[in-house]
Amino acid sequence: MSTQSTQRPAEDARRGTLRGAVDGMRRTELSTSQKLMIFVLSMSLFGLSNIILEIIPDVSLGPIDISVSNMIFVPLAMAALFSPFWAALGAPLGEIVFTDLLMGDFSGLAEVEGYLQMFLAIYIGGSLVRNPRNRIQIILGAIAIILIDKVLSAVVDLGKVWVGVEDAEYVEGLPESMLAIEVIGLGADVLMSGILLGAIPAIWLIPALHGKIEPLMGMRPRVPGEPIPDSAPRTPLFVGVVLLLSVASFGFAFLEAFDLSAGSFEPDFIDRFGNGFLLLAVAAIAVVMIVAIILFRFSRTAVDPAADGTADHGTAAAPTATDTDVDTSR
Amino acid sequence: MARKTHDVLSVEWVRLELLRTAYSTRGGLFSRMDPRMVLAWYVLLALAPWFTHNLTVLIGMFLLGVISVALARVGPLVLGLFVFGVGADVIGLFVASFLFGGDLTTLIALAELNLKLGAVSMASMAAFVSLDPEKLSDALLSLRAPELLAFGVSYGYRMLPILVDEYVTVFEGQRLRHAPPPTRGLLGWRVILTWCVLAVTAFYPIMLNTAKNVRTTVEALETRGFTYGTNNPAGRALRLAYLKVTALDVAVLAASALAVVGAYWLGAQFPLHR
Repeated sequence: MSTQSTQRPAEDARRGTLRGAVDGMRRTELSTSQKLMIFVLSMSLFGLSNIILEIIPDVSLGPIDISVSNMIFVPLAMAALFSPFWAALGAPLGEIVFTDLLMGDFSGLAEVEGYLQMFLAIYIGGSLVRNPRNRIQIILGAIAIILIDKVLSAVVDLGKVWVGVEDAEYVEGLPESMLAIEVIGLGADVLMSGILLGAIPAIWLIPALHGKIEPLMGMRPRVPGEPIPDSAPRTPLFVGVVLLLSVASFGFAFLEAFDLSAGSFEPDFIDRFGNGFLLLAVAAIAVVMIVAIILFRFSRTAVDPAADGTADHGTAAAPTATDTDVDTSR
Repeated sequence: MARKTHDVLSVEWVRLELLRTAYSTRGGLFSRMDPRMVLAWYVLLALAPWFTHNLTVLIGMFLLGVISVALARVGPLVLGLFVFGVGADVIGLFVASFLFGGDLTTLIALAELNLKLGAVSMASMAAFVSLDPEKLSDALLSLRAPELLAFGVSYGYRMLPILVDEYVTVFEGQRLRHAPPPTRGLLGWRVILTWCVLAVTAFYPIMLNTAKNVRTTVEALETRGFTYGTNNPAGRALRLAYLKVTALDVAVLAASALAVVGAYWLGAQFPLHR
């Protein structure tokens, strides 16, 4: 497959040589500076979209929030056009740095929870878009991002009520009504963030940007059918990683909720186990995180040779530097 | 003649205020301190409120937060957003619990949670408003945070005002070139729709512009050896050599620790539970 199969945009004079082709001498994997570019671009743009959303007032009907939580088409475009992994690493950081740190509502552990959930959502949702011009894949990707992000946080919310950690006793809300609220909230989120400000802008924006934005960053536009740089591997190991990371994010949420009102829920809980219980919880989360990261490395190294093999079609020069490259740059 | 600035809450004001926040040009106590010590101070004040349910201690922490916000000279925008947020939160939760059949004790129960959250938020405002991007990223780097995080923080703070500025320019330009909707529609929904469409379509040129800027930035960084320099111990030491802990840092940290201990002691003397 050659670079000539896509039309080169002629608008911009400073495109330089296009890097990252697949036929033997050229590569599909990204160079260190390209990774940094994708990371920074995704971070800045998602941060900007969050700032804009901060200005728009939130509308809520009682306990159900019907506002737009994220402009999800921005990270989806980055993931679909460049690389899901680096876009997913950058976007939630942009949200934390631009809005939370600067606006002074940095909330410690809850930020880690939000980062993990958003990372998983964009990574998986972005990997669903294999052809940036296919509108159905884009719609699926946008809805998958919102569903993964919101279902994970809804499970956290429900779990808090279920365990009774959060102050549920003075609100006479039964778990059933909580479930109803969460389901309606999820539906509102999918409609507002996933479709109105997710899929609909994305099906216009991603094909419009495809082939135009890549040369500005010194890259070759993605061609359907060739391997996506740093996409989510489809292996059982990766499913395990996703589960572990979700558990870790639940852990952070629970740790916070536990701190919040452990004493009001069951006063002798802390007395019996002491603060050692908290340390134990922290240690458990740390272990889960470390195992998840190690497994993640494994799942990526396991899938890479296969991807390179299909890309090369038997040419002699198989790229072998993929894994070391990824490791050093992280 | 001179146009009076009645509209305090204009976009321009918000942007300037964000700039002042990002570059911490207001001065204040914490901006003179070593950034690592400011982070340590933040961790102390952010963690301390979580280990108690005693309202006396929490009121003490809240007052400590108020004092530190005053010392850090937090600007009106961030402070206003905070006050508005806490107020809306209290009222919203109160209304919700009334709907589910609560009474006035609910308010006291909510006081604990909001005092805690308020104290923590004020500590984070005081700390992060006082740290300019360079210092914050160097502090993160010297605490062995991933260099991408350190870089993201410093880049984000710097680029944000420029990005917002660019976005506003593009948005206003698009708006001027478009005809307004012929009728407003019910509750002005046509106007709102036009604004939403403009807000989204403005992202197209912004994305292309930002991609160009990002490439310039990253290539300039990599020419100077950004990725290799931050991983190199000698380069790292050279970059972080200016960070020094002074008497002021120790004094502020000791005073805060004493105040926290004092709050806990007062709490033990006059416990006040809900």
